[in-house]
Amino acid sequence: MNKNIKSNLHFDSYYDAVVIGAGNGGLSAALQLSLDNAKVLLLEQHNLPGGFATSFVRGRFEFEPSLHELSNVGSEQDKGFMRKFLQDKGGVDVEFMPVPEAYHLILSDEGVNIKIPFGIEKFTDTIAAAVPGSRKSIERYMQTCRETLGAIGYISRMNGMPDPKVLMDEYPSFMVTAGYTAKQVTDTFGIPDRALDMIYPYWCYLGIPVNRLSFTIWALVLYNYILKGAYIPRHTSHGMSAAIDARIRELGGRTEYSTRVTKILVEDGRVAGVETAAGERIGTDYVIANLSPNVVYGRLVDDRRKVPEDAYRLVNARKIGASAFVVYLGLDASPDELGIESYGYFIGASMDTGKAYDNYFTFEAPEMQAAICLNRAIPDCSPPGTTIVSMTALAGPDTWKDVRPENYVRFKQEFAKVMIDQFSEALGSPLSDHIEEIEIATPQTFARYTGAFKGSIYAYEQDPWDSVVARSMSRPQEQFIKGLDFAGGFASIGHGYESSFLSGRIAAQMAMKKITR
Amino acid sequence: MEVYGKEKDLNAFFGLVSERQERVKQASPLPDMEDPIGDLSRMLHPEGIQLVVSAVREETPSVKTFRLEPAAGSGIGLPVFRPGQYVSLKAKIGDAWITRPYSISSSSCDALSSGYYELTIQKKEGGFLTGHIWDLWKNGTVVDMSGPHGNFYYDSLRDSLDIVAIAGGTGITPIRSMVREMFAGDLDMRITLLYGIRTPDCAVFSKEFDMYAAREPERFRVVYVCSESDNTWRGPSGFITASCITENTGDVKGKTFFVCGPREMYRFLDRELEALDIPRRRIRQEASGEPFDVTSEPEFPGETKDRTFSVVVRMGNKVRTISAKGVDTVLVSLEKAGIGPDSQCRAGECGMCRSLLMSGDVFVLPDGDGRRAADKKFGYIHPCSSYPLSDLEIRIPLTGGVVAGGNGGSSGILTREGQRYE
Repeated sequence: MNKNIKSNLHFDSYYDAVVIGAGNGGLSAALQLSLDNAKVLLLEQHNLPGGFATSFVRGRFEFEPSLHELSNVGSEQDKGFMRKFLQDKGGVDVEFMPVPEAYHLILSDEGVNIKIPFGIEKFTDTIAAAVPGSRKSIERYMQTCRETLGAIGYISRMNGMPDPKVLMDEYPSFMVTAGYTAKQVTDTFGIPDRALDMIYPYWCYLGIPVNRLSFTIWALVLYNYILKGAYIPRHTSHGMSAAIDARIRELGGRTEYSTRVTKILVEDGRVAGVETAAGERIGTDYVIANLSPNVVYGRLVDDRRKVPEDAYRLVNARKIGASAFVVYLGLDASPDELGIESYGYFIGASMDTGKAYDNYFTFEAPEMQAAICLNRAIPDCSPPGTTIVSMTALAGPDTWKDVRPENYVRFKQEFAKVMIDQFSEALGSPLSDHIEEIEIATPQTFARYTGAFKGSIYAYEQDPWDSVVARSMSRPQEQFIKGLDFAGGFASIGHGYESSFLSGRIAAQMAMKKITR
Repeated sequence: MEVYGKEKDLNAFFGLVSERQERVKQASPLPDMEDPIGDLSRMLHPEGIQLVVSAVREETPSVKTFRLEPAAGSGIGLPVFRPGQYVSLKAKIGDAWITRPYSISSSSCDALSSGYYELTIQKKEGGFLTGHIWDLWKNGTVVDMSGPHGNFYYDSLRDSLDIVAIAGGTGITPIRSMVREMFAGDLDMRITLLYGIRTPDCAVFSKEFDMYAAREPERFRVVYVCSESDNTWRGPSGFITASCITENTGDVKGKTFFVCGPREMYRFLDRELEALDIPRRRIRQEASGEPFDVTSEPEFPGETKDRTFSVVVRMGNKVRTISAKGVDTVLVSLEKAGIGPDSQCRAGECGMCRSLLMSGDVFVLPDGDGRRAADKKFGYIHPCSSYPLSDLEIRIPLTGGVVAGGNGGSSGILTREGQRYE
């Protein structure tokens, strides 16, 4: 620890670990550290915990900004990682509400309108019934995905540092697929195109087309989702974030909001402390950063010369993933009155993931959307006789870069109108006659509230060379500053709520091994 | 299992790391912090702006309009906004850092093309800040404020093109912004304005409104409704009732109402608009803000009105105990003690002052309870709309205020003691 760090007004002079950013990764890391009795300080620039896992209130509605489905929660009888970690080990006061179906797919050009259920068997049965002759190939496919899940479980148990030999011996189908994209592997199964259309919609939560997306991460996400079903927190994701924050404090951890870290202090190649915007210096030997390495290396480390060149090279080699464009509606009619029968919809012309990606990464109105009717999982999330609907499209991190402030609202409205009309047409549900509250988020909005670099919500894109596998295997040589680790979407597991919780916990456990008290 | 042959498959697997290393080797070693989205965000929503009074216009004997511009050579761009939004003034009076929300009375087009905001402020008897503004704001006065905020604005996807605006007193300011924006060409709608005034001579902006109404009567009409009229008054008098609304606007069906005025007007209009059977989504009402006298609120439990409570305030490692009157919001008591957390709307809506109530009870104004569901569960309050009902212990966020040593504002534009603070 830096001996020159003076005591200060609002903090102790030393903490075992300082977590920067109270997004899902940061909350998870701080929770795990507090569970392990470390003296932890969690600092967040915004006045709320959660990062994207938050909520906002307009009139009589409280909106869920980002979460569609939380994977790997599992039922009380068959608990997944999230339930075990937060409720059982963590003692976090969060209630999970089940999502009723996997997704409802509407493809206007293909004449597809089908509700896909949870459960590997039901999933297979439903698609096989809709596309005769597809059953065998889908069964084999899901079996391969299952083995991937087992391998990732092993990697997770090894704290992100698997032994390649064990992987080869015990998870053979993992090894032979991990070098490829989702399309490269999937194409070899001979699944009919129409069935693939029904299997692929979940790609958009991974954010790159199937001909680039790592098969491993695709298989993991798809299989886990269908196998264990999905849940959402009772009082929006802010309910989960606030509950974790409360638990960290209860365990003796310290959380502080509206407090921006402006510097990570580094001495002799290792972390010595942090400095806040108010100029207070806090000593620590371990920093877990729940934010972009671009920002950490480019702006936070107190002197750029202390950052090895390879750190900048790594950051520059990676591609910053999608942000989002989201329309939130508070409607003055019930879901039944509006004819909205399902919780989650994918709506588009076709399931061409490359075309959809190109559309998202160009500055034009979105052609495909993932829509959520929150009331279908939480009937009383809004007052009786009202409905909350959100419509999400991805947006390339730079797509809004040339928008001038004076044109910003006009473009928002234009794009939102296209999405509202698309939804209304697909469901035969004229929403525009019922809009009581409307809010629209763009990449700028995500940047504004979370400070996310370029407004990205998906961190780095997960091509095979930057997938969980490559990230985990490269982890030791990518530890550029001793005592500095990452949590959240930029870390080893990749983006998404569950992945961020996993990476936060891994970072905490790695730090705990070295923290001596 | 094999995908493309075992050897090829395993080469692909082990090739992941070497491909990664190769890509890293090829990449630039220089940090690239270009972030156009972050730049756009800071232009639209700066954390704070500092402007200079460039003109003062007396609208009526008790209402002045202050024109504010970025200091010459400061390079500050004035953020555009949605007409109807407000800024939160930040000022130091004595030891107290306080904020006050004021709707911007000029339009976003004015900001964009002419580089100014206007704030139109009524001098209130016993008002804490307005007296100081009145006496001290002159050409050249430096003023700190937040960027524009708030949800009281026209939205083309939600609202009708036919607008009925009902304003009372200085509630006219956001409406004036909308009217100016409409005539500058950026809001495509029609407005009928019912403007409630107390006496015939206290209408603000009437010349401007009359000029617009004469120029394009099919887009804009204004009706002044005078509550304390004299024998010279030829317009409608009394309050703005349901029949007054229908007489002057015709069929209310399909129209969107924008309502801004004092709390008493809201209470009265709620009943009148209910009588007209207007759907909730067609009524936009600006947040009420702090009542001048909370004891006149029907829901306020009267027994604490003469009491003073003790509040233990935790900020980081610091602890202070302050006193808090039952009739003051917790935020006001914090500000009086010079330790206000940052705040904006002062109406319970924006959540900026969100604080943890560790013990004790508060009364929350029913129309000022914009808390998230989980925040109620975990014991948070918005101090700007909460009144102590007992001794309290609270934890407030660090930023703002002098104690945080941070961004409370500039060197103190107002220096005299406030009227309500001894």
